[in-house]
Amino acid sequence: MLTRRTFLQSSTLLALTPTVPLFLARSAKAAADKNGRVLVVVQLDGGNDALNTAVPIGNPAYEKLRPRLRIEKKDLVKLSDTVGLHPSLKPFDKLIEAGQLATMVGVGYPNPNRSHFESMAIWNTASLNPDAGDYGWIGRALDPKAATAYAIGNAAPRALRGRRTVAVTMNRLEDVTLSNPDALNGAVEATQAEDLQAFVRRQAVDARTTADRLTKLAATEGPAYPSTTLGEHLKLTARLLKADLGARVFYTQQGGFDTHASQRFVHTNLLNEFSRAVSAFFEDLQSAKLAERVTLLAFSEFGRTIRENDSAGTDHGTAGVSFLVGPAVRGGVHGTMPSLTDLAAGEPKMTTDFRRIYASVLTNWLDLPAADVLKGTFEPLQLFRS
Amino acid sequence: MPHTENWAPYVPDDKAPWDLRRVVHLHRRAGFAGTWDELQRDLRDGPGASIDRILAGKTSTHAPAEFAATADLLSTSALASGDINRLKAWWFYRMIFTPDPLGEKLTLMWHDHFATANSKVQDAALMWRQNDALRQHARGRFDAILNASLREPALLFYLDAQTNRKGRANENLARELMELFTLGVGNYSEADVKDAARALTGWTVEDGQFTKVLAQHDSGEKAILGQTGKWTAQNLIDMLLRHPATAQRIAVKLCRLFFGERAIDPEAVRDLGSDLREHDLDVGRTVEKILRSRLFFADANIATRVSGPAEFIAGTVRALGLFDPAPSTLALADWSARMGQDLFDPPNVGGWPSGRAWVHTRSLIARSNFATALMAGRDAGLPSPYNPASLPGSCGLGTGQADLLTFYHRLLFGTDPTESARSRLNGVSGSRLVAVLLSSPEGQLG
Repeated sequence: MLTRRTFLQSSTLLALTPTVPLFLARSAKAAADKNGRVLVVVQLDGGNDALNTAVPIGNPAYEKLRPRLRIEKKDLVKLSDTVGLHPSLKPFDKLIEAGQLATMVGVGYPNPNRSHFESMAIWNTASLNPDAGDYGWIGRALDPKAATAYAIGNAAPRALRGRRTVAVTMNRLEDVTLSNPDALNGAVEATQAEDLQAFVRRQAVDARTTADRLTKLAATEGPAYPSTTLGEHLKLTARLLKADLGARVFYTQQGGFDTHASQRFVHTNLLNEFSRAVSAFFEDLQSAKLAERVTLLAFSEFGRTIRENDSAGTDHGTAGVSFLVGPAVRGGVHGTMPSLTDLAAGEPKMTTDFRRIYASVLTNWLDLPAADVLKGTFEPLQLFRS
Repeated sequence: MPHTENWAPYVPDDKAPWDLRRVVHLHRRAGFAGTWDELQRDLRDGPGASIDRILAGKTSTHAPAEFAATADLLSTSALASGDINRLKAWWFYRMIFTPDPLGEKLTLMWHDHFATANSKVQDAALMWRQNDALRQHARGRFDAILNASLREPALLFYLDAQTNRKGRANENLARELMELFTLGVGNYSEADVKDAARALTGWTVEDGQFTKVLAQHDSGEKAILGQTGKWTAQNLIDMLLRHPATAQRIAVKLCRLFFGERAIDPEAVRDLGSDLREHDLDVGRTVEKILRSRLFFADANIATRVSGPAEFIAGTVRALGLFDPAPSTLALADWSARMGQDLFDPPNVGGWPSGRAWVHTRSLIARSNFATALMAGRDAGLPSPYNPASLPGSCGLGTGQADLLTFYHRLLFGTDPTESARSRLNGVSGSRLVAVLLSSPEGQLG
C-alpha cells in the first residue's frame, strides 16, 4: 500500500498527465526519500564575524587586530588547542560533547565579493557569477523530483528557487492546526469509493490526524525554546517535522549580523540566540526521536574585517565560519584557520571552498547528485560519520 | 478518426438529464459556482440558453451595474500603492462580482500557463499589465495570446529576456517557450533550444516596455525544428504556432480546466487538438465546443475535479451569496495563499501543480479553517457570523436542521444528501453544518 508520502510524490505525476503508465508511478515511489533525511538551513544574514565566532587560540596577531573586541582565551568554549568558540555558543556544550557539532573554518570562494547582495547570491546559487535568472542550489537539487521545500519566515530565499521545485513559505503554526477540529470530520462517507474521492478522503483523515497531533504537541510542555525569532522558527520547523509533511528541506534566516559598530554586545546576543535556538531544536528532535534524520547547516555570506574599526565594530570581510549540526555529523573543527598575516587585499584568504560543504551535504546526506547542482566537481568535506 | 462522435453535443436524456446536479457542475467548471437563483434559473431554461449566457459573459445575477468602474478603481488604487496584495484582492473582487466568470477562469488558466511570479518581477504594475492582456485575449486565438504574452515585460523579465544577447545567450525564455508555452517536452532538441535562444536575442524590455533591440539580435543562420534560416523571434513564434504539438498542448490545457480525473480519454483530447489546429487555434470556439458536449456533461465528468484554491474560495463566496457585505478580498487572497495558490506568485514557471496536488494536509487544513472563518465572520472580514437560515429562508424554504442539510447539499453539490449522510450529520446544525459540508471531501471536488 502506498504511504501518504509516496502518494504525494506520485500524485505530482497524476496531476500532469491524464493517464500515467504504471511504471512511472512505481519509479516515483522508488525515488521516495531514502530514510526521510532532512536538511535544515539557517542563513545568518549580514556577515557573521568569523574571527570572534571561531576564535584562534595562541595566535598573537588576534590580540593586535582586536584590541577592544577580542575575546579572552579563558572565556572561550574550547574546541581544540587552536580554536575556541565565542562564549555565547556555550549552549552547544552537549552537542560538542556528543561530537555533533562540526565547525568549518576559513570558508569562502575565490575572488571574494564583499557586497551583501552579491555574496549572498553566490552562496544561494553556488555560482561565482550568478546571472539574474540563476536558480538556487537547493532548488536545482530538488528539481528532478519537483519536491517541496519549506521556508520558515516571510519569504523564500533564492536558494530554494528552482524550475520545478516548490518553495512554501510558512511562519504560523495556525496554518497546520484546525481552528475547528470538527469541521474536517464531517461527511466522510463510505461512498462508491471512487478513486479521486477515496484519495481526498484519505488526505482529509491524514490532515485531521496531523492537525490533532500538532495541537496536542503545541499544548504539551516540550523542551523550552528561547522566545526569539529564530527560536520560534525552529520550533515551528520541529513541529512540521513531527507532522511528517514529507518535505526534505527547511530554510530559515537569522538577521542582524552586519555589526559595523559596537559589535561586542550585539554579536554576543546574536550568537546566544543562535546557539540556544539550535540546541533547543535538537533537544526537541531527540525527545521526538527524530534527531537522527536531521542535519542543520548554518552559514553567512562572508566573515568580517579582521581588524576592528574605530566604532568598535567590523566591516565586510572574506572567509567565514559555517556550522553543521546533528547526530549524523562528524564533530570537531574542519579546515584550516586562515592566516591572519598572509592576506589578500588586507583580508584572509579562504582555505575551504563553500561548495565543498554543499557537495558533502548533497552527496553524503541528501543522496542527490552534486555535480549537476554545483555545475562542477568539488571534493566533499568529510562532514558525516559513515 | 471520426472526431465528431467524440465531441457530439449534449442532449438531455434519461441517462443524462438536465438536473440540478448538472447545473451546479456547469457553474463550477465554467465559473466559480452558481448562486441559488442562478442555478434555479438555468435549471428552468435548459442547457442551451444557460451556456449561451455563460459564453456571452452575462450569467451572473449579482454583478453590480458599475462593476467595470469599481474594478478599475480597485486596480488603479492597488497600482498607486504598488502593493501586490491589493492587486490579488482586486482579482478576487473580479472573480466574485464579474458578469463573466468564464472569462476570469480562463484568465486564471492563462496566468498558470504563462506563469510569472511577482516575487521575482517585483512590480505590481507589470503584473497587472500582463493580467489585463491575458484577460483581453483569454478567448481569442492562441496566436494572439502567445504573441501578446511574449511582449509582456513581466514575462520577459521573469525569463531573463534582457540578458539574452548576441554572443551571450540566456536560454531561459527559449526553453520555457518551447517546453511549457507551446510544444511540450519531447518535441524539440537541446540544439533547438540553443538556436531558439539566438533567435530571441534582442527581444527585450527597456524602460519597462517591450522593445526589439537590433544591435543585440543574433541575425545569423539558425537551425530550429528542422528548418534553417536567419530566424527572428517572430519567425520562431510562427513556427511554434504551426507545429501540431502546440495545438495538442493547448487541448490538454483546456481539458485539464474543464474535465476531471479520468473523465476524458486521450483519443478525445487528440481529436480536440486536431480540431483546434484546423480552426486557427481558436480557444473561444473550442471552449464552446467543450461546454456544449456530451462528454462535458457525462457522469464521469461530474464531481471528479479538484477545485483549486481560488476556485474554492470564490465559489464558496458566490454560492453562499456573500455579496453584500462581501468578505474582505485581501483576506480571501491570503487564504488562497495558505491553500497553496498565491495569485501572481506561482511557485515556478511551470505554474501551480494541480489536480490531486492541491489536496494535502496543509491545504485541507486551510480549506477547513477558511470555512470556519467564513462562518464566524471575523477572520474573513465580515461584520457578523453567517446565518445559515437566511438564504433558504429568503427562497421560502424550511430552515430546520434537516431542511438546512437538504438546501446546502443541493446548493453546493446539486444532489440530496443520502440517508447515511443524514444520520451521520444528525447532531450537526446551524453554521457548523455548512462548515462541515464545505470542508468535506466532496466539498473539494467540483
